[in-house]
Amino acid sequence: MCAASALLVPLLVLGSPEWLSMNGVGPAWVLLWLLPWALTDGPISGAFAGLALGLILDGLSLEGVTQVPALLALGWWWGRLGRRGSQIQRSLNLGLLAWLGSVGLGLSVFLQVLIREGGTLDSFTQTWGWQTLWSQALITGLLAPMLVSLQLLLWRRRVPS
Amino acid sequence: MAPSLRPGKSRWRGFGQLSPWLLLVAGLLLVRFSKGAGFADAYALITRPFWPGSAQREWIVSARTVEDQSRLQLLEQDNLRLRELLELQRNGSRQGDVGAPVISRSPRGWWQQLELGKGALQGFQAGDAVLGPGGLVGRIASVTPATARVRLLTAPGHEIGVWLPRSRSHGLLVGRGSSRLTLRFIDKDPNVSPGDLVTTSPASTLLPPNVSVGVIQSVNEQAVPAPTAIVQLIAAPEAIDWVQVRIR
Repeated sequence: MCAASALLVPLLVLGSPEWLSMNGVGPAWVLLWLLPWALTDGPISGAFAGLALGLILDGLSLEGVTQVPALLALGWWWGRLGRRGSQIQRSLNLGLLAWLGSVGLGLSVFLQVLIREGGTLDSFTQTWGWQTLWSQALITGLLAPMLVSLQLLLWRRRVPS
Repeated sequence: MAPSLRPGKSRWRGFGQLSPWLLLVAGLLLVRFSKGAGFADAYALITRPFWPGSAQREWIVSARTVEDQSRLQLLEQDNLRLRELLELQRNGSRQGDVGAPVISRSPRGWWQQLELGKGALQGFQAGDAVLGPGGLVGRIASVTPATARVRLLTAPGHEIGVWLPRSRSHGLLVGRGSSRLTLRFIDKDPNVSPGDLVTTSPASTLLPPNVSVGVIQSVNEQAVPAPTAIVQLIAAPEAIDWVQVRIR
């Protein structure tokens, strides 16, 4: 049931509701699912989930840029955080982790665009890249306390630590 | 052992226990290399009741008629004569246009694309031109049986050759992530000014010829090695519910 909820991620990416966007940019739905999954299930499962979702989302996006490396790394990192000491469940912490994850994912994509364009970007493309990165990070960080907390609550009930 | 959300034991024992995971990875790779065919088609099936109605489609047809009338003189003087002389691709006949609903759109963000509710079953293929009310919006990047993915002209790095009818000069239109695109000229003195219409090239074999694309907003004469211009698209992808796909 928990794993099946991952199927919502590609549907939300395709649906991309406009009323849940900032400056026309929607949240990184994949991070809002991956964060609670990795915190609950550990680094190996988190990395594998990141890999799986990255492959699916790459299939649903235009060629040229991949999300797999960033999602794999984030799944591993968040899984390790979840295995350490006290549980991470405060809204601010979850929002911050999601915000950092979105910035990392955005930087990875932006870097690939930079490489694809031969190492230089004109001012228009730079503006687009930074606007997209910060808009997505902000809306992801704002939604995380609500959505991630809810998923953590549900999933930790099923798997008591 | 750490608790797990996954049923069963977490330790793999031998290849017999590894094989389900290998199958899963193979399935995921299949999704990746089929361009998300299963997900895109399932999404199209689920969202079919919510697809846009026919009102905008009629509006598109009406807008296209007005657009056609305004371009008639240009087409008569330039396109048809050159086309016959050069034996290039016939001017896109309206019989080749197929209307398709936009079932998913991300005109901003990292991937600037549209998802259409028709695909290979309707004869769409990669490279087909996609037209909105007012002009070209992009080209089909990939198709599944029931859907097609459109790379918008605004996508960073997306390049098409264009033509300026008034000055009779060529240029390369490059996507920059916003609805304003950069036009790189080949000539050092392209003789263009703000307000000039930008169309696809009359000699184009990749795109339908003489399709409106945008209007020049400003020109940078100082750019090196050749002047550049900012082009505003006529067809705004943010507001399109129906498009016409010109099948080759």
